[in-house]
Amino acid sequence: MKNKILLILAACSLGACTKLDQKVYSVVPNQNFWQTPDQIAAGIVPAYAQLANIPDGNFQNLQETSSDEQVVPARGSDWLADGQHIQLWTHTWTSQTQQVRDTWTDLYAGIGKINFILGIVNTLDPKPDGLDKINAELKTLRALYYYWTMDLYGNIPLVTDFNTNPNTVTNSPRTDVYNFIVKDLKDNIDLLNDEVSPNTYGRVTKWTAFSILAKLYLNAGIYTGTTHWPEAIAMCDSIIQSGKYSLQTNYYDNFSQNNESSVENIFVIPFDHINIAGNNYQTQNLHYQNNINFQLSSGAWNGFCSNAEFYSHFDTTSVYTVKGPNTYRTFLDARSGQYLIGQQFTPVFTYPPNTNVLVASTEPSLKIKDAQTGKDLSFYGNITEISNPADTFRLAGLRNIKYFPNPGTQVSMNNDVPVFRLADILLMRAEASLRNGTATSTDLDYVNSIRARAYGGDVSHNWTMVDLTLPHILDERARELAWENHRRQDCIRFGTFGNARTPNKAKDADGHWQIFPIPQAQHDANPNLKQNPGYPAF
Amino acid sequence: MPLNRLFAKCLLPGIFLLLPFLIFAQTPVVTGKIIDDKGNPLPGATVTVKGSNISVTADSIGQFRINAPAGSRTLLITSIGFADKEVAITNHPLSIILTSDSKALGDVVVVGYGTVRKKDITGAVASITSKDFSPGVINNPLQQIQGKISGLVITQPGGDPNGNLIIRLRGQTSLSGGQTPLIVVDGIPLDDPNQLSNIPATDIASYDVLKDVSATAIYGSRGANGVIIINTKKGTAGRPHVEYNAYVGMDHIAKDFGLLSGDQWRAAVKTIPGITQSTIDGLDHGANTDWLTAITRTAYTHSHNLAVSGGSGGFNYRASVNYMKQDGIVINNNKEQYSLRFNAEQKAIDDKLDIQVALFSSQVNRQYVDYNIFDYVNTTPPVYPVHNPDGTYFGYYDYDQQNPVAQQMLEQNTNREKLTQYFSRVDYTILSHLKGGVQGSISQLTTHYDFFQPTLPGVGNLSSAQQNMGEVDSKKGDIHLNYLNSFGKHALSATAVYEYNDFDSSIFSAAGQDYLVQNLQDNNLGGGNPSLNQITSYKQQYKIISLLGRVTYNYNSKYYATVSFRRDGSSKFGINSHWGNFPSASLAWRLKGESFLKDVSWIDDLKLNAGYGVVGNQDAITPYSTLLTLGGSGRYYNPANPNYQYPQSYAPNQNANPDLKWESRHGTNVGASFALFDNRLNGNINAFSDKTKNLLFTYTVPVPPFFYNTILANVGTLTNKGIELQLNADVIRAPKLNWSVGGQITFVRTRITNLSGTYDGNAITTDQVPVGYAKGRGYDGNAITYLKVGQSPYVFYLPKSAGLAKDVDPSTNSNQLYYAADGSKVADISKAKKYYTDPSPKFTYGINSNLNYGSWGLNFFLRGVYGQQLFNNFANITSNISRLPGNNVTKDALTNGIKGSQTASDLWLENASYLRLDNISLSYSFHNVKGLDNLRVYATGNNLFVITHYKGMDPEIRNGNSSQAYIDTNVYGDAFYPRSRTVLIGINVSFK
Repeated sequence: MKNKILLILAACSLGACTKLDQKVYSVVPNQNFWQTPDQIAAGIVPAYAQLANIPDGNFQNLQETSSDEQVVPARGSDWLADGQHIQLWTHTWTSQTQQVRDTWTDLYAGIGKINFILGIVNTLDPKPDGLDKINAELKTLRALYYYWTMDLYGNIPLVTDFNTNPNTVTNSPRTDVYNFIVKDLKDNIDLLNDEVSPNTYGRVTKWTAFSILAKLYLNAGIYTGTTHWPEAIAMCDSIIQSGKYSLQTNYYDNFSQNNESSVENIFVIPFDHINIAGNNYQTQNLHYQNNINFQLSSGAWNGFCSNAEFYSHFDTTSVYTVKGPNTYRTFLDARSGQYLIGQQFTPVFTYPPNTNVLVASTEPSLKIKDAQTGKDLSFYGNITEISNPADTFRLAGLRNIKYFPNPGTQVSMNNDVPVFRLADILLMRAEASLRNGTATSTDLDYVNSIRARAYGGDVSHNWTMVDLTLPHILDERARELAWENHRRQDCIRFGTFGNARTPNKAKDADGHWQIFPIPQAQHDANPNLKQNPGYPAF
Repeated sequence: MPLNRLFAKCLLPGIFLLLPFLIFAQTPVVTGKIIDDKGNPLPGATVTVKGSNISVTADSIGQFRINAPAGSRTLLITSIGFADKEVAITNHPLSIILTSDSKALGDVVVVGYGTVRKKDITGAVASITSKDFSPGVINNPLQQIQGKISGLVITQPGGDPNGNLIIRLRGQTSLSGGQTPLIVVDGIPLDDPNQLSNIPATDIASYDVLKDVSATAIYGSRGANGVIIINTKKGTAGRPHVEYNAYVGMDHIAKDFGLLSGDQWRAAVKTIPGITQSTIDGLDHGANTDWLTAITRTAYTHSHNLAVSGGSGGFNYRASVNYMKQDGIVINNNKEQYSLRFNAEQKAIDDKLDIQVALFSSQVNRQYVDYNIFDYVNTTPPVYPVHNPDGTYFGYYDYDQQNPVAQQMLEQNTNREKLTQYFSRVDYTILSHLKGGVQGSISQLTTHYDFFQPTLPGVGNLSSAQQNMGEVDSKKGDIHLNYLNSFGKHALSATAVYEYNDFDSSIFSAAGQDYLVQNLQDNNLGGGNPSLNQITSYKQQYKIISLLGRVTYNYNSKYYATVSFRRDGSSKFGINSHWGNFPSASLAWRLKGESFLKDVSWIDDLKLNAGYGVVGNQDAITPYSTLLTLGGSGRYYNPANPNYQYPQSYAPNQNANPDLKWESRHGTNVGASFALFDNRLNGNINAFSDKTKNLLFTYTVPVPPFFYNTILANVGTLTNKGIELQLNADVIRAPKLNWSVGGQITFVRTRITNLSGTYDGNAITTDQVPVGYAKGRGYDGNAITYLKVGQSPYVFYLPKSAGLAKDVDPSTNSNQLYYAADGSKVADISKAKKYYTDPSPKFTYGINSNLNYGSWGLNFFLRGVYGQQLFNNFANITSNISRLPGNNVTKDALTNGIKGSQTASDLWLENASYLRLDNISLSYSFHNVKGLDNLRVYATGNNLFVITHYKGMDPEIRNGNSSQAYIDTNVYGDAFYPRSRTVLIGINVSFK
């Protein structure tokens, strides 16, 4: 008996009973994936996943709240959030500001995933079909992430291999990053798909690459000190002249719940209220009690807004009609309807938001009241302080509803978010031509096509060559492209970024605010990183 | 020649010559077997020939063989825990029954994979038996011993009947992952320490707590947090013995938040500039609602335990059934538990074969609290009514604000948990000193969670429903050998075990939204909007395989040595370190056995012990952390496919670390135990110094090159140093009057000594990591506690408050001031100098008193914590008049002068030392009741008072298992469930 037990023990210690094999159930070991074309396709798309963060706070706040477009006042303690939104508006952010910290990881996670996927797909045996196209698509998407990261943070680490030793990563000068992105885009552009169809919806195409290049060349003077106006014009022309895109008849159809049918959007981030969360613009913007007139199925947060100064760029000329006790307003410039102004009423707000907006009623019961203060729910744009605990301050700021929320919307919306669209490219073409001294009637026509669309086809609001000036272009961009994450870049390019603003923003003492600091958390994890000029050194 | 001289000169040498023969002829060898009063063999009992120094030790089945000198008439049998017994020497084999010495009950201690007599212990091991358990409404058995064992700190964070205890042995042992000791119930380690709340307290006979590393090293990679061994009651030989224990308790909220009443709100808002009458009129619905009262109630608990035990002919058994229903003091919140336990032991083949089986099964039904309702209590103006005049709920919605009564009453939020454990063990005496056997156990926990939230009044949310089903299974088997022998004054025992553990768990969940018929709750999951249906499932497995051994030796019950070794393999560990070795050694010296103390009558016992060992902790590692795996990574839009436009994408779930391994705790312990003055004063003192290396923590890594900014790695180091003292004194020992007092005090100091190192060849350099945050409206990512090298974990890093300015500074929206580095007062908190404050308690302690007079008993137990600091986040948020009128505030807010946005400074750090009357009990035992062995009735009060300067609701908060340690957070679901004050009456009856 004793011997038998000893034998069992001996046998155990030798092998069979000491095998630590482990079954993997709900996740798949990397080496067992990548077996079929469908699996390869599903393994590549996480490269796009980081895009879903673009509308959701961090990136959006850096690009908009630091400009004159968006302000997030502290309504008492509400939206104080450790002062981060005030820091962005007043240009007092630090390397520890939350959005500065998290936008970095949002974007670099996209770059890191692409580096990882590139490492895998290029070592698969057998080689996947269309590997060259896969590489081109991934590298172009990586260039988009790098363009944004470089645009925001300037001198950033350039890593193209996932297996890079983390202890060797350090900053590259902004010019080097710029040159790398331009080269990577040019090297791959001919391999990209030029088809515009459901197959390429939400995917990087040749036209996406041209758009990124156009942005890079348009801002090259800011990024590198050397302008590239002709190249910017050429990139815009490649898109415009391809005939692949045209202006959508109704401005709001580019942003609506069903905007996948837009013929104008060049590259979008697809969202779905069930399957792809991340577009919650309406939750950020609307007031808690807007769930009454927008019939939201989850409460909004009463945060982001624009002030009267920004809205003054809009043409608010309107036609009013009276039906029974109610007065309805229709804006001549459709784009002016993207903001909620004044009293909110209980009837359901209809799409599109520029026509037949209920703005007055002799029936008092139709007025929505702020539940917490009992005051009439009436938005005003004249924000005189960045922070105020007064009960009226809950109603401060005009609310953007460009991404129109349909009834029943919960936190996540269905509206896809355009990254690049034709109207932007047309305005960029006109701007580059003006700056290059080569503006012609073609540029004027491009701008007027946008204006005519805004005025419902009415050409009486068109510009003449005299109107085609840089300040006018900047204002047109404000009207056309608000809430599309371009404003900071535009303000820097037009030299208005450092201006004093109401409320509470003093003029920037120097230009170092034009790029954000390297986040403290990244320096903590990687002491090789150097801080950007103008910020306290690590 | 006188006879005596003849005898001396002639016969004596002759007798001497004949002596060997005479002895042989008379009683050459005495044999026998020693059993206890339950019929169990008593290995290791000492058999001495009275009047000589000849002694032997009984073998593993209680048998002995001793040469008795001629003329010897009597054997003296001694065994710790049993009354000494003298037995006449006979020619026949002796059968000796020792009866347990009630004073020394529990003196056999289970030390893991074996038992040891208490006097032979070489490590720091504490034991506590049922007579010392705290009475009260017990929903987790460990509440019975809270505060009673030095070094063991048990925290009960609030009064939730479905809440879990926080259990820490000898300080914080880890920065992430479990720090709860391994809990072993009758030889079965629980898969999750929280399963203990599914086990009824009334079945438990004793706890043995293995504290120092030399004692826990036998549990290897799972021993770093200490080990608590729970022994349930067993049957004893004799007629069936029937026991019934029951109590009925009544709970009431112990303290409120101190918020304004409706009328106080009305008076206050009028005095605040900037609040217009129209606003007041808009808000004031004429009600006077105390929202805390609205969500709470007086709650009743009743508990019943019926047990039958007995045995004969080598067979012992015990069977028990339990029922307990505990209502929480919050409405629509309760716990109901049914369970049965059966265990039996059969001996056969001259007691060489020993078979044990045990079965435990329980069902617990829980109705949970939605912790967000505590926020709503603090945010909702007290002028809102609970109900509309028509009886429906008054509905409203704003930031973190809705009707808490409606939420808690209308939501279904329940869990059914079924825990079943099977255990069997067979031992066989192979040789007289060698036993071998096998043991197996199966533990199965199934959970079924039901959730339904209707469309709530005023909120307009979509109705939503969910069911989750979970299974947590483990299988454990071992093969073991035990050797026990003595050679003269040398006693030796050895144990060798091979053990195999397999852990599986899985979860399945289905959820839907937007139901037309809300009465169906979650019983018609598919009935909502089909596009909103969600199903998920997950399954995982891991294994632990171990080889372990222990050898103990003692010389003459004076010098002791124990050596143990365990080799653990875990499939959770990285491929580079699948196996770990965990050695230990300990020594003890029983001074009382030395000649120089033999005659010191006031010292009854004195022993010194010292030990060293290495143990591991693998809790923080989830089964597949070391592997590069891909998992579902969200859906993507593929419009080209008209049938299925949102396929799943796959991406790595983590930064894999193939180097991952256990944390290793290296510990040294020295101690002394003593019994003095005829055992009137006894106790022990232990000092320890432990170092945990290879600390597992989710360290930050740079992005790029990584795309996840964290990795689980073994990098840091922390130390725990402490002193524990346990004392008990029998102050009065009189025929009718007994009074004993006792207590324990524990000093532990934890320091993080390093947070830097390497993983997979890459460096991690970390100086401090933010862990805890001030929370509430206005805060976002405001870290106030840190892991900082050189400090204790969760050290506060805060500016010093410099009082208040008269008016709110518009640039900071606050009137609070702080000290800058140069001593000046500044309004901008970012310009203030910050200071580190160690919040950890200086010591924890417990004091008990047991007084018996005739049939009456009066016992009480006080426990306390000294030197703890808490950040009163609740007051920070709510003691601020600027919350008015839309939110409620505390009465303090009317007088403290604080205006504007809240800020986190040391103004909110409060001394949270406390002393709590844990329980006080008065009992009466009836004697000579016909037909009954025992009839006892008692009344108990729990938490009748707490002495503290802390201004929050209660100073005992969720410290230890949360990154929010020492922060009385109280917002966003992190709330404190109010503690209750309990009064109960109970009865114990038994008969044969």
